[in-house]
This record gives sequence, C-alpha cells and structure tokens, in this order.
Amino acid sequence: MAIVVNLDIMLAKRKMKLKELSVLVGVSTVNLSILKQSKVKAIRFSTLDSICKALNCQPGEILEHVKS
Amino acid sequence: MKYITHTPRKSDFVIWAVCSAVILIPSLSGFVLVGEDLLLILPLGILSFFMFNLLIRRSLTFKNYFISPINVLTSKMRSEVSMSIPKDLMFDKMIEVINDSKFKLTVSDKSNYEILATTGISWFSWGENIYISIEGEGEETTMKICSVTFFQVYSWGRNERNYNDLLKGIEESLTV
Repeated sequence: MAIVVNLDIMLAKRKMKLKELSVLVGVSTVNLSILKQSKVKAIRFSTLDSICKALNCQPGEILEHVKS
Repeated sequence: MKYITHTPRKSDFVIWAVCSAVILIPSLSGFVLVGEDLLLILPLGILSFFMFNLLIRRSLTFKNYFISPINVLTSKMRSEVSMSIPKDLMFDKMIEVINDSKFKLTVSDKSNYEILATTGISWFSWGENIYISIEGEGEETTMKICSVTFFQVYSWGRNERNYNDLLKGIEESLTV
C-alpha cells in the first residue's frame, strides 16, 4: 500500500507499549495492531486525533506516503 | 479481500426429499396399520432427536455432524474469505466482530483456531450455528465460514444473511 503507518516507530520513540496506547486512545489492541501493520481500510479523524494527543505528535509523523 | 462462495447444490434437496420419503412413507403406513402405538412413538422419537440435537448444538466436538453433507436435516452454506492479516490477529479480530454483532460467541478455541457463534430462535428458524475456522501462514489468512441451520432443511435465506452480516462486520471493523 502507498500509505505506510509509522505507529511502531512513534511508539518506540515515546517508549510506549501498544496496550498503553490502547487505553489512552480507547481503541482495542487488536485494532491498533492491524493499524500498525497498515492493514486497515480507513482511519477516523477522531482516532487519529486521539493517537496524536496520546503520542504528542503530528498526523504526518504517523502516516507516510510511499511511491509504489 | 477475496471471496469464494459455494452455494448449496440442488442435489442436496433431492437427497433430502428421497431420505424423507424413505423414512416417512413406511412410518405413515405403519401409523395407519398399527394405530395408537405409533402415534405416540413417532412424535416422541422426533422430539428426543430434536432434544439431542439441541444438547449437542453448542459444542465444537459435533461440528462435523452438523456440517456433514450426509446430515440432510440441516441447511448449510460454506464460504471462504481471504485476508492479508496474520492468523493470530484475525482470530482476535473475529471474536471482536462477533461480540459487536447480533451473533452470540459460544465457543472459541485458539489452539485449533476455531470459533462457534450462534443466533437466537426466530419465527423462521430454530437458530443457526456459524462455524469459523481460520487457516493460513504468515500474512495471508483464509477463513472458512459455514452457517448451518438447526433441525431445518430450508434456511429461508438466514444462512446467506448471516454470512453477509459477518462480512459487513469485518469490513466495518477495518475502519479504526
């Protein structure tokens, strides 16, 4: 896919575990795991907003466009 | 996602009709000849068989009995769905999808990657069993879904509806 989710990089930078993020964002760990692997079909702005708040980052740091 | 759908064959209905005729015709003639004894035995036999099916329904052990093509007392619909999500994650995802849907999670066996979900009794059905087995290696996963009516030879479209509802649930859950 052309859109790559860099959630694992951001989690490593913030030294946060997926489970902790799941609690902060209110999204199940299963969904976050699927998001981390870029297997989701879509992401809600509200979810993106919560992730950005929890990780204190910009959406561009989580999502990246790669030329395929 | 890749969908491969197997629709029930017409020959299933023919087998069912022949078996019913083989069972019912001698029974009914026996009813005429023997009289009151058979009047009691036949419904009791059917009732006990129904109760037996009801008891074994919520167990994965009897999966093969319900989904077997030889079992003509159930209407079945088999389908396969392929997704590029690892097997472990897909198993957890399916449990989440079932819990968020109208289906009731009855048994989940992570060692064999098998799930049994059921639906409740309605005007058109005694309830259906949905057997899901997850197979695959690496990133590719194939889910084998089999919706089976309970003690009912015609599903009134319930099996198809269950399958569609399940797929809709999976699709919706992929939006986080």
